[in-house]
Amino acid sequence: MSPTAAPAPPLAPEIADPRLYLDGIPHERFAQIRAMPGLGWHAYGDNGFWAVTRHADVREVSRNPAVFSSSIGHTNLWDLEADALEARRSLIDTDAPDHTRLRRMVAGAFTPKNIRRWTDTVREITVELLDEFEARGGGDWVELVAAPLPIRVILAMLGVPVADADYLVELSNYLVEGTGDTQSIPPDAFGNTTELRLLPFNSPASHALFEYGEDIRAKRRAEPRDDLVTHLVRAEADGGRISRHEYRHLFHLLVFAGNETTRTAISHGAMALAANRDQWQRVLDDRALVESATEEVIRWATPILHMRRTAASDCELAGTPIAAGDKVVMWYASANRDEAAFADPFRFDAGRADGEHFAFGGGGPHLCLGAFLARLEVSVLLEEMAARRLVLEQLGEPVRAASNFVHGVLSVDMAPAAGSSGGPR
Amino acid sequence: MSADSVRMAVDSQRCIGGGQCEMLEPEVFLVDDDEAVSSVIGSGVLPRARADVVVHRCPGAAVSIVGPES
Ligand code: HEM
Ligand code: SF4
Repeated sequence: MSPTAAPAPPLAPEIADPRLYLDGIPHERFAQIRAMPGLGWHAYGDNGFWAVTRHADVREVSRNPAVFSSSIGHTNLWDLEADALEARRSLIDTDAPDHTRLRRMVAGAFTPKNIRRWTDTVREITVELLDEFEARGGGDWVELVAAPLPIRVILAMLGVPVADADYLVELSNYLVEGTGDTQSIPPDAFGNTTELRLLPFNSPASHALFEYGEDIRAKRRAEPRDDLVTHLVRAEADGGRISRHEYRHLFHLLVFAGNETTRTAISHGAMALAANRDQWQRVLDDRALVESATEEVIRWATPILHMRRTAASDCELAGTPIAAGDKVVMWYASANRDEAAFADPFRFDAGRADGEHFAFGGGGPHLCLGAFLARLEVSVLLEEMAARRLVLEQLGEPVRAASNFVHGVLSVDMAPAAGSSGGPR
Repeated sequence: MSADSVRMAVDSQRCIGGGQCEMLEPEVFLVDDDEAVSSVIGSGVLPRARADVVVHRCPGAAVSIVGPES
């Protein structure tokens, strides 16, 4: 930790313990940190991190990648040994120029214009899942709707058989466990022989996902198609614009990042709509609100709670001196409830028009690649729920992930409300 | 345009090709899908307030205002 000579910085309350998140985000603690002058210092492991919790400060960190680096340290708050960091490095843990090169490898597929082309696919999948949900009279929303929707969409984009969706959802679930304290599978699961600390999320499921990516790569090399994997395979063949390591990690990232996050948004979104029926009624009465409701669902959910940067040089943020090498952790979970950016931030408002939320990151070069895809999925879901006038009723408490990184919901029972489409009359 | 219009530019080294600019101002920005890089098209001119929005939203800090309209 840096400030040895300087007076001790104000200490932030505990926010890193994954168990705190079993009952939801510890919002009061974040509010305390937002109210502190400057940044709060948080002890963690054998050094600690600066807790960046205000909306404006998160933006500042995101938009200054030359100072707040993604490649020097890990982008999660826990530390990695140097060899593990290298072995696990993906797009997310790079800075320009590597970042720009890798990002452009896939960016074209995710522009608003090109994402819009997937609208019909997203709609077909959504209708099928909602039909099934209604036919069963409800059930676990995560299993029936929130998990399968994004995975089927990203698999369609990658060009991966839909029959493998369940397997990839299962792998993602194990990866999420790796962000918490528990792993329910043994180190040699899926035939893994790699040391766990060298695998993303310390999880043998990462090995399985890499293998899966290699398998598809081999198939597309032999028989090219019009899909994202073929595109990446071409880039690899084409003078090594992307290395084998980069391909493996990009594939892993596309599957995991595109799936766990959107699932979380859809799960929290359903809970918010069930708990705030007046807000859902507004959308039913005026479909023009789908766009703002989509953003509000994503702000409300904030599926990724934090991302970390590491100071590349001595600098200052919010009046707090930061030393080169210090960890700087942006808490999106807090920025998205910042009173300075949102009027009445703890209110779910389907027509909200005030702030720019940071669920996709604070607006720097790592801004979520899949943001427009996730928006499309959430908005088509809301449209289709509205079209059939489906009103949700939440049955019981959700089972949450014990994680300080993802705002995960493992399961939550929902049913069509009485009188609503698919519900008891 | 008006007295308050400005000329836009894109730094292709910094651009990450996500297309926020094109979504906001399709008359002025075009992203090449293969290269995933944006460039200025047409008159390249925007009213000041709209120009500021694009600069604010560009995640690569690649969009800039290079001067007044003419
Ligand atoms: C609601 C859903 C989603 C949320 C909340 C979300 C959130 C995030 C966040 C917070 C980041 C880091 C931003 C930063 O460091 O500035 C990120 C990066 C990323 N996301 Fe998403 N994401 C979502 C959906 C998706 C989808 C559907 C994909 C599909 C491929 C995706 C792919 C990625 C990738 C590849 C990155 C790394 C980008 C980079 O480092 O340049 N995400 N996402
Ligand atoms: S918004 Fe910025 S980074 Fe994105 S495509 Fe346009 S110029 Fe490039």
